[in-house]
Amino acid sequence: MKNAKKARKAAAAALCTTFLLLSACGGGGSQAASGEPYDENSKATISWLNILHTASPPTDTVLNKIEEKTNADIQFSWIPDASKEERINTALASDSLADIVTLTLLDNSSVRNSLKSGLFWEVEPYLDDYPNLAKISEDTRKSASIGGKLYGVPFQKDLARNGVTIRKDWLDKLGLETPHTTDELLEVARAFTEDDPDGNGKNDTTGFVDRSDLIYGAFKTLSSYFGTPNNWQVSEDGKMTPEFMTESYVKTMDYMKTLYEKGYINQDFAVTAKTDQQQKFAQGRAGIYVGAIFDSKNLLNMAKGIQDDMELVLVNDITSTGSEADRAIWAANNGIGGLLAFPRSEVKDEAELERVLKFVNDLMDEDSYALMTYGIEGTHYTVDGEGAATITDTDLWQQEVQPFAASRPKESGYEIHDADPLKKESDKLIAENADYAVLNPAYSLESETYNTQGSELQKTITDATYKYILGEIDRAGFDAAVESWKNAGGAAIISEYEAAYKAVQS
Amino acid sequence: MAKPVNAQSASLLEIDRRAVRKSRFGLRKHMLLYLMILPGFLYFVVFKYFPMGGLVIAFQDYQPFQGILKSPWVGLKHFERLFTEPTFFMLLRNTLVLFAMNIVFFFPLPILLALMLNEVRHRFFKNAIQTIIYIPHFMSWVIIVSITYVFLTVDGGVLNELLAAVGLPKISFLTSPEWLRTVYIGQIIWKELGWSTIIYLAAITVVDTQLYEAAEMDGASRLRKTWHVTLPAIRPVIITLLILKIGSTLDLGFEHMYLLLNSLNREVAEIFDTYIYTAGLKNGQLSYSTTVGLFKGVVGLVLVMLSNRLAKKFGEDGVY
Repeated sequence: MKNAKKARKAAAAALCTTFLLLSACGGGGSQAASGEPYDENSKATISWLNILHTASPPTDTVLNKIEEKTNADIQFSWIPDASKEERINTALASDSLADIVTLTLLDNSSVRNSLKSGLFWEVEPYLDDYPNLAKISEDTRKSASIGGKLYGVPFQKDLARNGVTIRKDWLDKLGLETPHTTDELLEVARAFTEDDPDGNGKNDTTGFVDRSDLIYGAFKTLSSYFGTPNNWQVSEDGKMTPEFMTESYVKTMDYMKTLYEKGYINQDFAVTAKTDQQQKFAQGRAGIYVGAIFDSKNLLNMAKGIQDDMELVLVNDITSTGSEADRAIWAANNGIGGLLAFPRSEVKDEAELERVLKFVNDLMDEDSYALMTYGIEGTHYTVDGEGAATITDTDLWQQEVQPFAASRPKESGYEIHDADPLKKESDKLIAENADYAVLNPAYSLESETYNTQGSELQKTITDATYKYILGEIDRAGFDAAVESWKNAGGAAIISEYEAAYKAVQS
Repeated sequence: MAKPVNAQSASLLEIDRRAVRKSRFGLRKHMLLYLMILPGFLYFVVFKYFPMGGLVIAFQDYQPFQGILKSPWVGLKHFERLFTEPTFFMLLRNTLVLFAMNIVFFFPLPILLALMLNEVRHRFFKNAIQTIIYIPHFMSWVIIVSITYVFLTVDGGVLNELLAAVGLPKISFLTSPEWLRTVYIGQIIWKELGWSTIIYLAAITVVDTQLYEAAEMDGASRLRKTWHVTLPAIRPVIITLLILKIGSTLDLGFEHMYLLLNSLNREVAEIFDTYIYTAGLKNGQLSYSTTVGLFKGVVGLVLVMLSNRLAKKFGEDGVY
């Protein structure tokens, strides 16, 4: 924020705040009188420490429009997604923050500690003053809270976005039906590997293509199909069990092990990066992709010119039993994409906070959503009477619009929608997923041991899972790893969560 | 060029003469020399010694927003945790084994190569070879590890395709713990071998040619000359470099290992540097990772002191 009017601002802040609270101003109509620090018509300078999910930051074209729309001068500091942990941690440690900080890793201990220590504004009391922010549901507010307090505006993401993408043209060629059980999926994987689905006479395809990620890759989604809880399971009497101590987790490992041993999955999946995985799929070297359902559109785009015959079918109803009642899909972070947090060191007083919140509120408007999703009408996309948008220049869109997609505070519930049939289908399936979403009961619970040692401990389990799948250890070896997890602090995590759960329930 | 040099040496002498009379500590006398040290001295104070003060957070529960002054002191809590951590011995073992492999397999190679290059009589050929073997040094680890990945991956990697073509089973170099160390040392050799010969080559050029001539008179062969003249002549350089190497090798190179590390080879690949990164920066346990770093530093210091003492025992100068 600008330093220029600091003194005057500070003097008027208390008065203004009282006024704002009393009149619930900022909502829509009423606004502070001109000359007051919080003036809706004043152009605000807002710096934003944000996460970048694309290779390069966006150009100014769309940014200028967003600035116009929100009446703000936005200064982004982009952090590449791959290095967000260390970068956010160093930013917190060195207090080099911005007016808005995108915090996506709420279970990271230093992020949690700094939130709890009061480094950021608590925003819950202000939310209802803004029309879009007021609509954030009670559930979302609750799950995004830490210790019962909401330290930022939660990103509202789709609850469960994962599913299976399969080569439809290969299925048709081999005369196979779309699979709906894990066994059928295994059979498809076998056929894709052994029956030469691309018809080039060479044994150069596999069923699955996966990457070195047990969570956003295939493993966790498959584990949902086998009925594994989402990280933690809580019983009637309040006993907590981590997912890897359930039988269905072991079943999932066995399934992956079969895929690996029979060669139905790329043999190097344990060291494959996401881009390589998607490339392999696009090059026609594999036919089953398990991950976010909306990746399908990307995969098809990437395959243009390489695999022009590619047709995709999206599946979200696979179970191990074939019964509808067993449908389940894990919800990443319980649908919370993180927080837009406002550090007290940058946003000095309530007047500034109100202005920044107004900015976030404006970002959630229909117009801003369209800007951040599709770009500028006529330049990046066209829209028909029903609000179906078609992206006209994909390359331009990727450069100028796509980087903003992850910064949208809210991603669904808008008029405008994608006209692309595949995107439409994936939106539909993701919406369906919400009815079957499995939440992590420990998500908003506190465990001191988990905060400090959780991810170190998780490594033990992750390593053992990979080794089991690749046949380097057997069940006894895996159980031994679980045992060492317990001894090294896992047991403490369980009891701390149980205590926290009890405290919340009572 | 000649004039300013003369002027300068003249003024140096001037200072010398005046200083000898006045200063007891030689401060005046060698003022120019001291001035020349100053930038380097300041560099070490500002960038090396001053930041060492930050090590105190190893004895605190450091919270960034409270700062060093307000964070609570916890004594040796983090050291206790480090030494009781089940992964501690794995870390120490992996670090020391790779360190030893580095000394045993990598260290002698540049000496050998330098001696061989020294025997090459054809100037153009020698220069060409030198230029080519220096190039890998300028590549970043990301590139080298990526190249290795392309060569060694099971799905279509060149080496595995070759193995398959001659009917041998494929080997998963990248995920098996048995191959990690070989791959790691192999990459270091490929990258640094050429560059490391520079100092040896420089040392060889100053060997007194009269010694070679004398040896020739005595009828020594080229191998004999190398063994009895060149090697003894560059021995002090070898010892110095060895001690320096021992001091720095405990820094096995975070970037390099982090790129090779995965869930399947962690038991041999996790070293102090990667552990500090994951536990410290990613998990935000700043105090604990400082403790690990401090411990690593102490181990490095001990190794240097031991090797220096050893060098002196064998009649060499050592580095201090």
